[in-house]
Amino acid sequence: MNLLQQVLDGLSSGSVYATLALALVLVHRSTGIVNFAQGQMAVISTYVAWTLYDAGVPVWGAIGAAIVLSLVVGALVERFLIRRFEGGEPLAAIVVTVGLLISVNGLVSLIWGTVLKQFPSAFPSGGVGSGSGGTIGYGTLGTIGALLVVVLALNWLFRHTRLGLAFRAVAANPESSALLGLPVGRLLMLGWGLAAAVGALAGCLVAPKLYLAPEMMDSVLTYALAAAVLGGLNSALGTVLAAWFIGVVENLAGTYVSFVGGDMKIAVPLVLMVLILLLKPEGVFGHKEVRRV
Amino acid sequence: MSVVVDEPAVTDGGGTSRRRRGRALTAVALVLVFAVFPLVMSPFANLQVTLILVYAVAILGLDILVGWTGQVSLGQSAFFGIGAYGVAAGAVHGWPVWAGLLLGTAVAGVVGCLVAIPAARLRGYALGMITLTLPVVAVPLAKRMEVVTGGAQGLNVTIVQAPGWTGLAADQWRYYVVGIGAAIVFALAAALRRGRFGRAFDAIRVNEALATAQGVHVTRYKVLAFTLSSVYGGVAGVLYVVAVQFISPETLVLTLSISMLAGLAIGGLRSLLGCVLGAAFYVVVPNLTGSVSAGQSYLLYGVCLLVVMLLMPRGVAPALGHAVRRVANRRERAAASGE
Amino acid sequence: MSTLELRGVHAGYGKAQVLHDVSLHVGDGSITTLLGANGAGKTTTLRAISGLVRSTGEILIDGRPIPSAPDAVARLGVAHVPQGRGTIGQLSVDDNLKAGALLRRDRVQARADLRRLRELFPVLGERAQSQAAGLSGGEQQMLAIARALMGRPSILLLDEPSLGLAPLITKELFVLLPRLRDEWGLTVLVVEQNADLALSVGDHAVVLESGRVVLTGTAREISGHDEVRRAYLGN
Repeated sequence: MNLLQQVLDGLSSGSVYATLALALVLVHRSTGIVNFAQGQMAVISTYVAWTLYDAGVPVWGAIGAAIVLSLVVGALVERFLIRRFEGGEPLAAIVVTVGLLISVNGLVSLIWGTVLKQFPSAFPSGGVGSGSGGTIGYGTLGTIGALLVVVLALNWLFRHTRLGLAFRAVAANPESSALLGLPVGRLLMLGWGLAAAVGALAGCLVAPKLYLAPEMMDSVLTYALAAAVLGGLNSALGTVLAAWFIGVVENLAGTYVSFVGGDMKIAVPLVLMVLILLLKPEGVFGHKEVRRV
Repeated sequence: MSVVVDEPAVTDGGGTSRRRRGRALTAVALVLVFAVFPLVMSPFANLQVTLILVYAVAILGLDILVGWTGQVSLGQSAFFGIGAYGVAAGAVHGWPVWAGLLLGTAVAGVVGCLVAIPAARLRGYALGMITLTLPVVAVPLAKRMEVVTGGAQGLNVTIVQAPGWTGLAADQWRYYVVGIGAAIVFALAAALRRGRFGRAFDAIRVNEALATAQGVHVTRYKVLAFTLSSVYGGVAGVLYVVAVQFISPETLVLTLSISMLAGLAIGGLRSLLGCVLGAAFYVVVPNLTGSVSAGQSYLLYGVCLLVVMLLMPRGVAPALGHAVRRVANRRERAAASGE
Repeated sequence: MSTLELRGVHAGYGKAQVLHDVSLHVGDGSITTLLGANGAGKTTTLRAISGLVRSTGEILIDGRPIPSAPDAVARLGVAHVPQGRGTIGQLSVDDNLKAGALLRRDRVQARADLRRLRELFPVLGERAQSQAAGLSGGEQQMLAIARALMGRPSILLLDEPSLGLAPLITKELFVLLPRLRDEWGLTVLVVEQNADLALSVGDHAVVLESGRVVLTGTAREISGHDEVRRAYLGN
């Protein structure tokens, strides 16, 4: 295992954290809520993909179908559960997402049981390069590539489409947007739906590395929360960079610093995050949207 | 046209004094029920109530931070663990319980203060993330510090034995000890809330800038709130070891912090009764759902949590208070029209 | 252009009733000024029309009752420029203007409208890529009005456009109002503290007091009315 490989592996895990963190950012931007159930919602999406695959659907088709289904379910969750808590006591909103987390976890255990399942990789096995340089797995590269595709797609959606402009307007100022005739409620549903879809992708990317289990996303959620807060809960670029940083630091510290080891490697990026937040409370990219004169 | 009728405020002097007498009677009755309860109930029921009181203290600590000053913390389980390990490790080395209590709560308070001094500048989710780090780091740390914590196996202790002259069983004695401990810290919190500190905390929660303008030293009070909150977490940890005579790293996981936050929201912010109700939800509801169906227990627990939040977004205690006031008002109005 | 009519409208926030039995008529293509002291219910009247405050009674546009949701009211052609302008600070000037036209299907015409508004308000073209939050108060007010016009409304509700603006800029805005009305085919209902200025460009005026209509008439009648002069015009 050489350094380049370690860094790339870190970037690959970081890309999974980034994907889930982007889902958190989408939800926070649209409704101002941090969704603790985001990881658990991704888990149930991944189980749906697994079920389809198990029934003979090709792996990409299964993942795609799960993503589309998650889009719809995420939107319905906003409409029928979250909407009642928007603009109220923040603690109530947080606890509702915790209730959602617990319920979905229970639902997954009930439907699929707690036996670990093997989830197929969407990418071929093997990798590029060999010999002294080591091999870089297609799975590693594919995960990083998938994140880049998500980022580019979201960027295109938000910067270059009318729907994206409507979403940005509603996220920034719902009342003003309503006065312009924008259907605020439906756009908030879109925010949650997109988040669930992106989260589903994160679940399907991480599942082949771990085993598919109801608690699969718990630690991923912790990293994703850290990345989203470091990124200022607002900026996609900041979130991705923070997540990559977390992934790489965790991987290098776990491998090269003997004191850290496997049990404490989750603590390293978190402690670094604490230090960074203390220096820059608004997050590293919290003020990215400056005036462009 | 919709006519809005204000609920009449307290109507007359006679009504208030009647109410006050009623309240005193209720309090006496509650104390009696509480005192007799362990003598007639099963050891299991006694342990349940003891645990409710333990978690109520921890949730009260969280309320000082979240409800009183409007900050968010996901670290309460770490302070709970510090208190618990303080008293348990002390007991293993032959210390008396009061020394363990002092050690556990002091360390919890010092750690809380050290975290709070830099963190007081942060707001909302940034503070939440920092505190989230505490249990995430505390669990592997507790596993590693085997000399003090007994590692992954945890510590088994035998403390707070019922003295022979009482004739009480262990569960009954521990019930009383935890009950009195909880009553003391609840009374302290109530006194604090009514006094100068409570007003300062309120000012900070409502409007930080305005509080500063009114001469409230915001940072100092935030650090104080966080420290107090950690001390309460530590006390709860000590009481926990008194109740179950055991502590292991699995107790301090992040999930416990989140459950306490949920308990606080369920019970209702800024309410002593709410803290007890939230703790009761956390202890009792999983038992109930587990007895309905072991397989679906977790799902049912989550659904219960959602249903309570949907029906009472501000928590059970405020909803109860509202209902009681409405009934009382209606009765008084009926009495007034009847006279 | 459209007519706007309120019949026996009651509205308020929670338990506080603000409007009591308000009836008024804004004629097709007119500029009507809503006058009154602070707290008389001027802003609440506008918010009731655009659905931001729940109301009872009848609010009719061209004789048809309006829907209750704000976005649905806006889609009927009612543009509301709220107090404090309501521009979206995080978005660029251009994005604000485009957000105003998001519901339009005639994109070619919308682009022409955008060009025309940049002629009317050159600063909006010059600072197209700036964040709206960086504009001065007067520029933001221009942006808010231009954004409202981008939706091609038939009715424009303006809430205290002069708030926080220098007197000269306020005057420019009001002088522009009749021209905008003619060019864009608007019916205008404007709330204004500066009664003299508002009456000088308005056709009609309605005076509110403690949430009730106490006087209606042409702008000339109202500005000649002794009591109104004493109460709102400062002489």
